[in-house]
Amino acid sequence: MVLPPVAVVAVFIGFPVGAAIAYTLGKTGGPNSTIALIAQRQHVAKHGVTFAAYREVLGNAHVRGDLWATVWVTLLTIAAVVVLSWAIGLYVRLSDTWIARTVSALSVIPLFIPVVIASYAILTFYAAQGFIKTLAYHVGWHSFPTLGYTMWAVVIGEVWVNVPFGVLMMSSGLNSVPNALIEAARDSGASLPQTIRAVLLPMNVIPTVIVATFTGIYVLGSFTVPYLTGPSAPNLMGVSMSQFFQSFNQPQQAEVMAMIVFVLAAGLGTIYVWANMRAAKRASQTS
Amino acid sequence: MSVVEQAAVLPAARPRPRPTARSVALRSLGVVFVLALLVFMVGPILWLALRAFSNVWPYPRFLPSDWTMKWWHSVFADKSLGHSIKLSFEFAPVVTVASAVICLPAAYAFSRFNFPGRRFLLVSLFATNAFPKIGLYISMAGVFYTFNLMGTFLGVVIVQLIGTVVFMTWIPTAAFSSIPRSLEEAARDAGAGPLRVFFRITFPLAAPGIFVAMILSFLASFDEAQGTFLVGIPNYITMPTEMYTLVLNYPEQAAAVFSILLAIPSVILMSLARKHVMGGRLAEGFQIR
Repeated sequence: MVLPPVAVVAVFIGFPVGAAIAYTLGKTGGPNSTIALIAQRQHVAKHGVTFAAYREVLGNAHVRGDLWATVWVTLLTIAAVVVLSWAIGLYVRLSDTWIARTVSALSVIPLFIPVVIASYAILTFYAAQGFIKTLAYHVGWHSFPTLGYTMWAVVIGEVWVNVPFGVLMMSSGLNSVPNALIEAARDSGASLPQTIRAVLLPMNVIPTVIVATFTGIYVLGSFTVPYLTGPSAPNLMGVSMSQFFQSFNQPQQAEVMAMIVFVLAAGLGTIYVWANMRAAKRASQTS
Repeated sequence: MSVVEQAAVLPAARPRPRPTARSVALRSLGVVFVLALLVFMVGPILWLALRAFSNVWPYPRFLPSDWTMKWWHSVFADKSLGHSIKLSFEFAPVVTVASAVICLPAAYAFSRFNFPGRRFLLVSLFATNAFPKIGLYISMAGVFYTFNLMGTFLGVVIVQLIGTVVFMTWIPTAAFSSIPRSLEEAARDAGAGPLRVFFRITFPLAAPGIFVAMILSFLASFDEAQGTFLVGIPNYITMPTEMYTLVLNYPEQAAAVFSILLAIPSVILMSLARKHVMGGRLAEGFQIR
């Protein structure tokens, strides 16, 4: 019963990724033979493997620019999403006013909107004639920068898209902390910040790690948000690898870039799995 | 509209303190936070929606100076746009059903049987999420050429299916796991056969979780743009992929109209699933057990 999805993952993810690894190392036979026929600027290994494709891609200053842009946009988005999800999660957990309920309702709106539309909406909102510029104009800030088609718009878009998941995870984590624990800390004289630091924070490491890793992996693998809202160059690796694949007809270089992004994501994925395993181990020890 | 349904309210153990300068400041800070969040979350959507009805919108005005419905007519009159709408509604159900057939039995097995390698397999399904999407699609496309899947219906279905496997396995697994085994055992003791137990006890109780997984899968497929763009072009251009062209080649207002049309199914379906998604089912599914 377990076989079908595992087989789907093995055949359509494991196998292509394996083939892609071989292709980036200069192996153009087998499953890569067709793409190797139409590709340009290939590095072929006659014997063994060659790292020439990696050398070419990493030696390309434009690609390096994209790589740095990808890294800082990913880190900044992770930080912003974690902070926002914690702030909203805490607000909803500790306060039961209409304001808190409005906040939690607002924060899940992106779930209802397809990413393509969100990206386009964010682009127009922060564009040269968008709302933010209009608002800045009316409050007298005429030199307010245009964020559309910059990496800032990309960060805004990525944060917008990832906030609901973060808030849902953090709310669910914070709600699983019993009221009695919070009350006990408060009764023994802990201030609210102390309670958060000593009770809520340690009990919500796992949800925080999940939010951070999934957000990071999402940003690393995103195409729509940076393609629609970002500058033409440097942009995220997702955009440039599709350009190399489709527009420049250099699939080997595109796949090398995919591998680089996989390595970055693998780092994040390892943290996630490790944190989960540690939590599972602890749970089995205490029960 | 309480989003976090289980949000337990702190009991009013202490009498409410009189409003101090500090609490007033905190409260107004809260209001500012809400306003900022409102602009950040809803602003872009409203701004885009207004554009669909605007004829003339000079900068720096907050509203268009002249309104029109002509963009709606031009979008509905455009044959290629209609075709992409139809295609989207063909792919999404096919992908959802295929995903359910493939993943639901596995979800049941993951939750009910403790077999060797169970955790490893559960984590390996996570591989679909651990690979950054666009990198994965590039790798898949490379091999798809060899198997003649580029630009085919099946190729697009496979690409979209990959994005649903995690939802379809993890969320129903959590749903099945939340049903106490004793319920099933009681039914067995009362003489029900295994199939009867499954369809009378297990399935109805797990149905909300399965329903949420199906809605999320439908939307994942319906909204999937980047993989379809890579693999489906030029034969299969669904609504989200059409948006790329629209944004670049059409007037802004036409893209705004198309955006509203594309958002309608998402809004309706997510509203149906809202209660369950917010109720923690999504969050449950992401913790490996």
